[in-house]
Amino acid sequence: MAIDKVTLEVLKNHCRAAAESMAFTLYRTAHSTFVKETEDFTTGLTTSDGETFATPVELGATWFVGLNYKTVIEMIDAYDEGDICMTNDPYSGHVCTHSPDMHVWKPVFHEGKIVCFVVGHIHNTDVGGAVPASISRTLSEVHQEGIRIPPAKVMRKGVFNQELIDVMLANVRMPEQNWGDLKAQIAAMNTGERRVHEMIGKFGIEVFREGIGDLLDYAEAQARAIVAELADGDYFFADYMDEDAADGFPCRLALTLRIRGETVELDFTGSDPQVESSINMPTGGQERHALLMVGLIYVLYSLDTRLFLNSGVCRVASSVLPEGTIVNPHFPAAVGLRTLSVQRLMGVIFGAFVQAAPDRLPSCPASGGPIMNVNTIDNRTGRRVVAAIGPITGGAGGDPWRDGAEGSGANSSFLKNTPVEINEAEVPIKIQRYGLTPDSGGPGKHRGGLALEMRFEAQAPNTKVTARNMDRSRFSSWGVLSGEAGSLSRFVLNPGTNRERNLGNIDFLSIDPGDVVHVGSGGAGGWGDPLERDPELVVQDVRRGFVSRGAAESRYGLVLGDGGYDKAATVRLRAERVAARLDGESFFDFGKGRTDFEVVWNHGNYDVLTELLAATPVHWRFFVKHRVFEAIDGIIAGAGAVDEPGQAKVKDDGSDVRACYQRVLKEFPQLRAAVEG
Amino acid sequence: MGYRVGVDIGGTFTDFCVFDEDSGALETLKVLSRPDQPGAEVTTGLAEITARHGVTPSAISYFTHGTTVGVNTVIQRKGAVLCLFTTENFEDVLEVARLKMPDPYDLFSTRAEPLVTRDRVFGITERILVDGSVDVPVDEASVRRAIDGVRAVGGEAVVVALLHAYRNAEHERWVASVIRAEAPELDVILASAVWPVIREYERTVTATVAGYVQPRVAQYLSALQQALSDAGVIAEAMITKSNGGVMTAEIGKTDCAQMLLSGTASGVIGAASIARGTGAPAAMSLDVGGTSADVAIIIGGQPQYGVGEMIGEFPIHIPTVSVTSIGEGGGSIAWVDGHGMLKVGPESAGSSPGPACYGKGGERATITDALVVLGFLGRAALGYSAVEMHPELARTAMAAIAVQLAMSVEAAAEAVVRVAVSGMYLEVSKLVSRRGIDPRELSLIAFGGAGPMLACWLARELSMREVVVPRVPGVLSAFGGLIADIKNDFIRTIYLDLDEAAIEPMQQGFGDLARQAMVWIRDEQGFQEDVAMFPSADIRYRGQSYEIDTPLEATWIEEGDIQAIAGTFHNLHEQVYEHADRAAKIQIINLRLVVTGQPPKPAFAPAPKASGSLVASRQVEVFHDGELHLADIHARVDMAAGHRFNGPAIITQDDCTTCVLAGFSGVVDDAGNLILTRKD
Repeated sequence: MAIDKVTLEVLKNHCRAAAESMAFTLYRTAHSTFVKETEDFTTGLTTSDGETFATPVELGATWFVGLNYKTVIEMIDAYDEGDICMTNDPYSGHVCTHSPDMHVWKPVFHEGKIVCFVVGHIHNTDVGGAVPASISRTLSEVHQEGIRIPPAKVMRKGVFNQELIDVMLANVRMPEQNWGDLKAQIAAMNTGERRVHEMIGKFGIEVFREGIGDLLDYAEAQARAIVAELADGDYFFADYMDEDAADGFPCRLALTLRIRGETVELDFTGSDPQVESSINMPTGGQERHALLMVGLIYVLYSLDTRLFLNSGVCRVASSVLPEGTIVNPHFPAAVGLRTLSVQRLMGVIFGAFVQAAPDRLPSCPASGGPIMNVNTIDNRTGRRVVAAIGPITGGAGGDPWRDGAEGSGANSSFLKNTPVEINEAEVPIKIQRYGLTPDSGGPGKHRGGLALEMRFEAQAPNTKVTARNMDRSRFSSWGVLSGEAGSLSRFVLNPGTNRERNLGNIDFLSIDPGDVVHVGSGGAGGWGDPLERDPELVVQDVRRGFVSRGAAESRYGLVLGDGGYDKAATVRLRAERVAARLDGESFFDFGKGRTDFEVVWNHGNYDVLTELLAATPVHWRFFVKHRVFEAIDGIIAGAGAVDEPGQAKVKDDGSDVRACYQRVLKEFPQLRAAVEG
Repeated sequence: MGYRVGVDIGGTFTDFCVFDEDSGALETLKVLSRPDQPGAEVTTGLAEITARHGVTPSAISYFTHGTTVGVNTVIQRKGAVLCLFTTENFEDVLEVARLKMPDPYDLFSTRAEPLVTRDRVFGITERILVDGSVDVPVDEASVRRAIDGVRAVGGEAVVVALLHAYRNAEHERWVASVIRAEAPELDVILASAVWPVIREYERTVTATVAGYVQPRVAQYLSALQQALSDAGVIAEAMITKSNGGVMTAEIGKTDCAQMLLSGTASGVIGAASIARGTGAPAAMSLDVGGTSADVAIIIGGQPQYGVGEMIGEFPIHIPTVSVTSIGEGGGSIAWVDGHGMLKVGPESAGSSPGPACYGKGGERATITDALVVLGFLGRAALGYSAVEMHPELARTAMAAIAVQLAMSVEAAAEAVVRVAVSGMYLEVSKLVSRRGIDPRELSLIAFGGAGPMLACWLARELSMREVVVPRVPGVLSAFGGLIADIKNDFIRTIYLDLDEAAIEPMQQGFGDLARQAMVWIRDEQGFQEDVAMFPSADIRYRGQSYEIDTPLEATWIEEGDIQAIAGTFHNLHEQVYEHADRAAKIQIINLRLVVTGQPPKPAFAPAPKASGSLVASRQVEVFHDGELHLADIHARVDMAAGHRFNGPAIITQDDCTTCVLAGFSGVVDDAGNLILTRKD
């Protein structure tokens, strides 16, 4: 570090203030309600190399602390004072990670030289493409996800590049909103530039130039100190999304975390091939890509909230990102719904780190949940209404000290709901219930946070309901140290009637008057042994309606009595339960859906699949994975067993997987040609 | 003629401001607060005032009082055993809140446990729809079951908060009548009566905070009335309100939601009157105490209002003078992190043990200690000699920081001030950025025990040109109470498109609000002088989720002038958000009405005129900007209008010390304020 540390602390506050004032300027002047409601935007200051040294924490998305603009900065040939550049192309430099995110950057000059950049992005409601809002799980190519602008100057020396703007606006569904929001971004850039000049005036150019590097070093030093306290080792963790495409198979994300002293390596080998749906994560193989760093930053910040947030934190990490996988897809894989996969990826990172510090980290949060939208006609006015009615999130994981937060929290903490009264005033639906789901939190010494649920009744025919990010209908949020998994998400049409239909993880349906939709997120995982939970807390949960009387006994071994619990009977019952346990309790509890799945698709079998697919050309992998899964399902069904007809069991040494692969190879000679070619 | 007395109770001190209606003179006093025996400090203070200034209690013609008893009840969680009745299937309203967590980067971030935990929330079978029509009538059996539940948990009071009751409160009243018949011992609070506005969480949490504090507030106000009566005060006690107005203490006992930010708001009212006096078009008030700094923006002499201000960990949604609290005060503790970076706060030495220099056992260096080491403090007694200063203890404490930073004790002390001020700069910067205000155009009005100590540093950091230190900076909240209006707010949600069809409901709504307002001010407050009414409306573009409180002219409402209303909204939107869409559909969500009555205002005697120039009582060495300076010491009592001085200087008075840095020049204005101007 070059400048004195007192000045550095003062500079740090000024840099934060600059980033915050950019964020407030953007938030205040943005046109679209989407930006105001979701705060899905960022602002920041980067070095001339693109490393983010200051970021706001009061406002904006929490995902982009580690963002590095270097690649896109370098894609512009030369900069003049007054230039502002933009891109929303996920495949140009990988700063932008899905097309609705319009990233902008502006060089800040001092005496003719660039001293830093001011940067930021806004998630536009729509950038054109196949579907309104530009994002759908069903899309498979980035071309379907709207117009893409590769890095280009939207302002040259302070003058708008009107041709570029006209092309963009001609391709989007609500051009006035995009234009209004772009102006807000430019206002934020200009605020940032002015604040940088003020800082240079106050601190002097040398102190500023050195100081911003020191701020990165400072965050790095803090992060290194946090990592150093974690036990060295290799920690493997994997989790799944329900499906890799509509009517597809589970989609696996895998990580081997290697903690070595003050640094970590994130090796994502074992993650599924890139998919024919829009949940690919476009990292471009960058080892400190922002999408990979989100989970890491959550962990490090949670271990010590004094951590100064900037991309210096990411310097402790490196990654291994196999080509053609969901974590490093090839162009033109669709990426619009990477929100869902990044949420799951964060959970995978949490799952690796919790093994290194189970006494300092929580179990798995519910990690988001569907964002519900309704598109219908209001009978009262005859007007079409398209509105978001809120995120259905779940709670935080139980942690070493407390129960998880209920209904939201952890990595969903930034989301805000819409009041029931506002929803009913704006959208012609009747909400029958909105609240927490009893028994949804994973039991534990410290219980997982409860899921949120909403039930509503349609009032008009052909009411379209979308549930973006719907997942966790098959694989639960996991618990640790004998803490149990949270409940699955629940999406049901007309519950409790003879027209009841389980909707699983579908993300779109059309309903009619009188139809009732029940949507609930998954619950979070528990931490520690539920049989060790303070009985008073279980009684309290029962009184609060968070745990049913039945679950108090079946899951917590609590014998309820008059106005409290029967102490002697509880001690007895808990002792019996402990005695009846099998040896070799595992560190994680994954819930039934995953445990059943992994009877077949255990670690060994999946490793073999990963190895075989890695040797397959990228454009074949998704297809081959599906054929192998179908063949394995055939074995389970007892119909198409490979080498031992009649025995409907899959061997766990990978041999059946290899055999299935061979069969696929045999069935598709084109594949053999592709593999061998 | 008589005396007007304003009293403000803080955590450490209780402040008094006494205005002599005959002479126009203003006197001040601080006594130690008595959290153990509320009301006692008022008795002590009044006796002291009698002794010092010969004010007999019966000569007190007007008495206002600001108190933190409501906020403290919430922070200390010492309120009523409260229950909540909601519409069935929506019982989790307080648990779920608005989902968002305080620190979105922290996996451990949680919401505060609600004041009414879920085991004390009971669902009522009933449903009113968004248009106010009844979908399901109240099932009285469900109310009886809920009452049984209240009894089982030992509930003392019940908040009834049902869906869409802002539109139709019939069900809430129905439920209340059942409770009163079945369980007359329970207090009942209707959310629709506290603040009948759309958005169920906001309405419910506001009502629960009000219900939670009510017994203690009522008890406190009764004790105060008794203490005043025992002391021989005949004037009716008035209470300062969160909206910057006052109301009778009697009404305060039931309308607790209105007085939660009592003292904080009246400080801003005091600052706003100073801003009007100096003619500052825009100002920022800075009230720094031991543990925090409160800042507020004042535009055109008017405080700004907001909703959702925090009471402890809970937002209340009634109109409140908008104040941002920063976790840095005179007692904030300095420390060095594991990487050699100097930090100040958030930990505070508070009033006990207090800064090291107080000699009450504090050993860690605070901002106050830094100012002692720099030579600005410790030159005269603080707080009416309630605190004795020990400069050597401040040095010892600061030496520990100096060693870690490898610098001299003086340099370390200045570093502590720089870091502290940069932290305040960050928070203030966010506040002005949120509102799109350029801080360079603001006057900084500094008060509170530590505000005038730090004001020059903060003004420099924010490039503000001017600092104003009022005559009575240590007791400005008490002063604010003296000059506040009798004031109340009324609201009605109508939620309509702003078109012809909205005119009649709007006229009817404002008519109803005006009738309510007159009942409040004439019957409940017993105020018979002229009153003023200020109608406004919460308006937004269709599709937005936030509204702008748009002031309306009475004639626009009478004549149904939609164009004028829309035009005003567009202009305001342009002003606040820098764009407007004059073709877009507009929704009018809430009608608002503010009623005020002005008690006769005190006519303050002008500050005495200076005859001759100001001569320093002595000179002392102070350290700042890396070097020693000779600073003049002036006693505030010796300063008269027109006196000029230059920084560095130290201005001492009974209730606080003003630090004037080199590079500032000062003048005493006609009202007796110190105006400090930054030279370039």
